Amino acid sequence: MIPQLDYIIDKILPAFVTFYLVSLGHSIFEKSGILNLAIDGVFFTGTGAALLGAILPIIYNIPISPPVMGVLVATLIAAILGLFMSSVLTFLPISHGAVGLSLQFFSYGVGIMLGYYVRLAYGTIYGVSFAREDVLYLSIISLVIGVVLHLFIERTKIGAAIRAVGENPHSAAALGVRVMAIRIVAGMLGFALIGFGGALFILSWQRSWDVKLFTLGYGWLAFATALAAGRHPIVLIPVSLLFGGLVNSQTDLQSRLGIPADVAKLIPFLAALALMLIYSTTRLRRIFASPSSLGKPYYKEEKSI
Amino acid sequence: MSSPLLSVANITKTFPGGVVALDEVSMDFHPGEFTVILGENGAGKSTLVKIMYGIYTPDKGSIILKGREVEIKSSLDAIKKGIVMVSQIPQLVDRLTVVENISLSLTRIGMFETMTRVRRFFKEVSEKIGIKVNPDAKVWSLTYTQKQLIEITRAILLDAMVLILDEALTYLPMEERRKFYVYLNEFKEKGRSVILITHKIPEALEIADKIYVLRRGKLVGALDKASANIDKIRDLMFGEAAKTITYERFTKPYETPIGDIVLNIRNLVVEGDYGEIAVNNVSLSVRAGEIIGIAGVVGNGQRELLEAIVGLRRVREGRVIIDNHDVTNKGVKLTRESGVGFIPDQPLRYAVSADNNIVENVAALFSRKNFVVNWKSMRELSEKLINEYGIYPPRPEMHVKLLSGGNIMKTVVSRELEYASKALVAYNPTRGLDEATSTFVRRKMKEKAVNSKLAVLFASEDLDEVLQLSDSLYVMNRGVLYGPFDPVSTPRSKIEELMVV
Amino acid sequence: MRIVLVRRKKPLKYGGLVVALLSLLSGIFVFTIFAWLIGVNPYPVVETIVTTFIFPGVVKDFIILTLLGYALLIAFKGALWNIGAEGQMHMAFLVSIYITLIVFFTTEKSLPLYISIGVILLSIVAAVAAGALWGGLAGVIKAYAGVDEVPVTLILNYIAYFIGDILVYGPFRGKYVYGYARTDLIPDPYKLSIPVQRQLSGNALIDTVTGYMAEFATYAVWLVALILVLIFTYWLLNKSNIGLRIKILGSNPDYLVSLGYDVRKTMVLTFMLSGAIAGLTAALYYHGSLYRIEYPLEYNTASYGYLAILVAWLSMLDVYLVPLSAYIVSAVILGSQRVSSLPSVREAFTRLQLGGAEMAFKLLMFGSILLAYSILRFIQDYELKVVS
Repeated sequence: MIPQLDYIIDKILPAFVTFYLVSLGHSIFEKSGILNLAIDGVFFTGTGAALLGAILPIIYNIPISPPVMGVLVATLIAAILGLFMSSVLTFLPISHGAVGLSLQFFSYGVGIMLGYYVRLAYGTIYGVSFAREDVLYLSIISLVIGVVLHLFIERTKIGAAIRAVGENPHSAAALGVRVMAIRIVAGMLGFALIGFGGALFILSWQRSWDVKLFTLGYGWLAFATALAAGRHPIVLIPVSLLFGGLVNSQTDLQSRLGIPADVAKLIPFLAALALMLIYSTTRLRRIFASPSSLGKPYYKEEKSI
Repeated sequence: MSSPLLSVANITKTFPGGVVALDEVSMDFHPGEFTVILGENGAGKSTLVKIMYGIYTPDKGSIILKGREVEIKSSLDAIKKGIVMVSQIPQLVDRLTVVENISLSLTRIGMFETMTRVRRFFKEVSEKIGIKVNPDAKVWSLTYTQKQLIEITRAILLDAMVLILDEALTYLPMEERRKFYVYLNEFKEKGRSVILITHKIPEALEIADKIYVLRRGKLVGALDKASANIDKIRDLMFGEAAKTITYERFTKPYETPIGDIVLNIRNLVVEGDYGEIAVNNVSLSVRAGEIIGIAGVVGNGQRELLEAIVGLRRVREGRVIIDNHDVTNKGVKLTRESGVGFIPDQPLRYAVSADNNIVENVAALFSRKNFVVNWKSMRELSEKLINEYGIYPPRPEMHVKLLSGGNIMKTVVSRELEYASKALVAYNPTRGLDEATSTFVRRKMKEKAVNSKLAVLFASEDLDEVLQLSDSLYVMNRGVLYGPFDPVSTPRSKIEELMVV
Repeated sequence: MRIVLVRRKKPLKYGGLVVALLSLLSGIFVFTIFAWLIGVNPYPVVETIVTTFIFPGVVKDFIILTLLGYALLIAFKGALWNIGAEGQMHMAFLVSIYITLIVFFTTEKSLPLYISIGVILLSIVAAVAAGALWGGLAGVIKAYAGVDEVPVTLILNYIAYFIGDILVYGPFRGKYVYGYARTDLIPDPYKLSIPVQRQLSGNALIDTVTGYMAEFATYAVWLVALILVLIFTYWLLNKSNIGLRIKILGSNPDYLVSLGYDVRKTMVLTFMLSGAIAGLTAALYYHGSLYRIEYPLEYNTASYGYLAILVAWLSMLDVYLVPLSAYIVSAVILGSQRVSSLPSVREAFTRLQLGGAEMAFKLLMFGSILLAYSILRFIQDYELKVVS
């Protein structure tokens, strides 16, 4: 086979799918107006849940492919976190930032609880991971999800409703939108996709799991990706590809240029910062404007003058 | 007489700050009738209709629809029960298109459906009532009147039984209002009910079949068309305070020679929030001791113009000259330091820090130059303002968020008038205040202008206010300024026409 | 019948206190529940955490967390969520290390006092500047590019870790470290702690009292710094114009704009002040207790930078309550560590092969205190009402 193709299948695509799904989920979530600072925690929970899910078919003899089960469990648990966060922030007028950040730390804990036991008991997880070529199908599935979601958001009534609650939940409610229901839908769907990305991170890309993964900060790279791509499912594709390549180039840079591992680790974070700066200081900010009510507490019985 | 279509019974609602917005209010709304709820600002009329439209929850009381007691949990619930409301501020989502906004109200449109059917529905109705709006235009690109027309179209599409208009027509000129009345009469003919909220007595008398008057949260009168007249309603609306309220022009006792030009605006071009041209080649000047008023329907560039003058918004072309110094695009700091007071459009949003107390709010403006704030003198100043303007409760260390809307407004107006030494720039300076206080504030503005040789430029959606206060007035429409006009000799109809043409 | 949320007519009296206590309890509760789930008797767990409230070992964390609490308090007052105290501390460590281990390195056991003091002061000043600059960088990005400060400060933490890792792995690696990736120990003349000898009497009460005295004596310099920072923060927030600006920034930045203040500069300044105190804390911590830094860097601070978020929140952003809040957080965190070393807990961990999972417990406890606090805070201003 052509060596470049090998490189793409082994390195670029798994990283791309992970970043794409996480930043896509994050984008959908934030389009409904809820600031997501829990992204890194949910991503990590996804990895732990996927690990647990992947061994369930083996322990209980369930006739489901282990990695698929891993994905299901990860999306389910992430969706529950999404349900919690969206509903609590829509029902109560409290700080989105504070809740998100707190949930991040909490879900780091949840992630360890879910994954740790499996890690110790089973050690290597190659056996329950996706096969090498599966990443092609996974990429196609992710792209289809992205395109379909894009069409739904831009063309359909539910898409209009999601954008409406993100722009102005008060007007949306007065028009007849169930703000709570819509935010829960966007919240669960968004987090489920983040969980999906977390699952693929360990079942298709790393094929290993460790407690210390939570200090990796890849969720924050996806946060930057989503922001720089204006939370646009299509624009996210090239930007995720860029990040996938960048994170993967770590090992190559190390060996080829002989630079220390930590310099290579530094690069994606510098790139994330740079991307956010480019987005914020150029016209992109106006073209891909953030939802007007992003991060604003919602309280409907407000008396205003 | 027919039985009521909708009734409210013993509705009570209290807001923080101990303000009783509604106190045991009961009303009936009959089919085929045009009911007007009159009351001044803060009388509780908006609160009442927001309860009927599922936005607020009443503390107590019931809503009876077609003889059955119902609970209205949300606006969607109200819509499903045939109650539709159009507010003074259009409740549309700016970044969505017209049809997308409409689709959100239509329960017959499925969640996963595209806009094709909505577009067709919208076209049918809009053609029938003669509105020309591109259904795929983003709402932000439309004028205020167009947005209100879309809201009406929405109500028709929803086949409303009860249509509530919350000051939705109040600030439209007579001509435009008449256009709406045509549809509303047609609507009424079909045995449906229209509820109009306003604080303008003439507007009520134009069309009402029945008038309810609210004062400080209490129902103080129910009149039918035959028995209603201005004086009677005035007494009901204002009670004791009626004597102090006046729409007479402040002229004679204050007449003074007018001084040099303080505010000089030359060919100003300013962009709006979405990059559109909001202010188009506007020039005007205000002299010391002079009050210039700008009349106009909301959203015609007044806000952008005033913001650009004080330096809050970038000027694309043209010059702003204050007291012979060019301050164009030099920031708010410079205008503030040149002695300009500023009362912005939404004071609660732009003019107070709600989590801080009155002294801190005052100090932030007056103690701007001191590295260490002189808290003693700031406290004394705050006490002075509190006494002069009757801010209640009279406690300088009271957090602003605990004050009522009217008292917050008084805090802002008093502070800015005290600070202004050269000029005052204001938008809707009496928004949310009751009539007696509004009259008081206008009088203060006039006094200050004359006594301190202040150049005052203000914009207001309330034409009566502009006519009462201005030495000379302009009309702003779609970013263009028309005028100046003499408020005494220019016919009102001419001004109103300019506001919408 | 349904439940609606309404704003209180007046803020709940002692509401903040109630919220803080409930949050703490929920954290301890979650911790205990998980311990119970893996088969540990909850009684000794709770007992250990409670008794840690009178335990001299708390003093060190208490002082550091109070200092950092003030650093974050200033930023939080301006509604700037500085989650970057970790990064600001690390940048400060690096300059302190450069000064003490590279420029003024010495193998002498003692130096003339003026030299010691001079180097220590230089190191502290440089650390304060480094913290302020790293904080200010986040401020600049937030203010001039408008990027949310939480991801920015977090990403800057990672960047600071990696920069530190590169340096500690390379140029800063010590000469006397037997191949470990770490710096040398700080030379004795630059140490800020005061060694205290004490003898145990055997009486628990007396030993606790002397223990506290010994700890406070050891960290006397820190204590002085703490008092100075407290006075500074109080003065800043309640007397100065800058403090007023910060408070208004936190409540309504639009008002600050319309007053003619430069909001961007205020943001940068707030971040710099916050970072400066974090930098000061880092220098004190390095000179008084840490003595060297090791690769990888994120394990040097015991997550103080994140724990300080808890301190600042639980203090309800009240200058006077920061020390109390810091004490409680120190006790709970230290208590949870002591729980992990209880025989019954260790036994359960080994039995279940959960040896390294105490980390999960701590994160869950930390997370649930934060989560409970950020959610329950609504009861101060709002109440739930049943409407029929």
